[in-house]
Amino acid sequence: MAPAGVPDALEALGAESSVVLAGGTSIGLLLGQALIEPSTLVWLGRIPSLREVAVEDDRIRIGATVTVRELARHPVVRSRLPAVATAAGSVGNPRIRAVATVGGALGHADPRQDLPPALAASGATVEIAGPGGTRRVDVARLATGLMETVVAPDELITGVDIPLPEAARGVYLRFTPASAADWPTVSAAAVSRRGPDGIVTDVSLALGGVGPTVLTVPEAGELKGSVAPSEEDIRAVADAAGRRCDPVADRLGSAAYKRAMAAVWARRALQACLEGAGRS
Amino acid sequence: MRLRFTLNGEPQELDASPTASLTEVLRSLGLTGTKEGCRIGVCGLCTVLVDDLPVSSCLFLAPCAEGRQVWTVEGLARRDPAVVAAFVEHEGMQCGICTPGQVVMASAARSELGAGAAEAEIREYLIGNLCRCTGYQSIVMALGSVVAG
Repeated sequence: MAPAGVPDALEALGAESSVVLAGGTSIGLLLGQALIEPSTLVWLGRIPSLREVAVEDDRIRIGATVTVRELARHPVVRSRLPAVATAAGSVGNPRIRAVATVGGALGHADPRQDLPPALAASGATVEIAGPGGTRRVDVARLATGLMETVVAPDELITGVDIPLPEAARGVYLRFTPASAADWPTVSAAAVSRRGPDGIVTDVSLALGGVGPTVLTVPEAGELKGSVAPSEEDIRAVADAAGRRCDPVADRLGSAAYKRAMAAVWARRALQACLEGAGRS
Repeated sequence: MRLRFTLNGEPQELDASPTASLTEVLRSLGLTGTKEGCRIGVCGLCTVLVDDLPVSSCLFLAPCAEGRQVWTVEGLARRDPAVVAAFVEHEGMQCGICTPGQVVMASAARSELGAGAAEAEIREYLIGNLCRCTGYQSIVMALGSVVAG
């Protein structure tokens, strides 16, 4: 069914085993592998409000059915949220990006996905509508386990809200020994902010692929307070990331290898976002 | 469910299961140029255009096609014969199974990348179209000539 508005969609989602369908890249996968047997598919393609992008002075709100391609190409995202733009431009291949949606990328909650670490490091919040109203959850706290989120069956992700701080720099790096379109062994998103005096006021680091959910690394916050955090301090945070992650062995690497790579790519992301010239 | 969309420029109306993939719908209409390969959006065999953008029809569910413009390799071969000619000229195929998907991507690349596209951009654009014969060089050359117009 194709509801014309969010209230109708929520009502449809109240029925037993109804499932949200947006671009279909996740639902198509799950159906194709017989992992879900929905009674009803609630398609969001007829709800114009979910396709909106709203830019304000200090934030951008992306509707849930904005495609990953549109996110990657949005001029404000490209200029002010380079980690998000890079991550969006890294999702799958051009065919996936053309239809996959931002809401779907969050709701699917596969820890190897590109967008969630970049959104988490950027301090984004997910807007979730439900029978009782709308609530907001940090992207970093959305997933509770492998492909499990805090979103209830009768709730709907309606958008994501991303702060647009001044003097921020973000990077997103992904590493895979497989083909370039494959899942990353590890991905690392780092975002730093500076005050008018050039002093680093905040650093966020989030990793993908190395645990059941996106891993945020609170130790990154210790890098604030100076203009140029030392190499030693950056390594300490990267090593903490390696210790915090909880990877499983698969064809993309053994658990020990992934843990080692998590520290390496965390360090590279931090270095690029704290020391590199210009936005990257 | 009743499904209405435009297929290769012609209006189409049919009954489809809401969980059917666009690949299944197209092949049931005899358009077998769209192949089913990996079924997970990775290989590119099932590439078609929806509203001028390439999509994996294996992951594109029938309800999402409602009201949209779908072009398959059969329609594009008629609409853009120069694209097929470029693959012939550069011998951009070996066993041929990936060729329909590559041709659809080439057709999309012309509008997506533009005439000044570097070879690296073309290779990046083809990231999700696998050729297990590894005949990439001639495919990239075919795309290069299509994009250059």
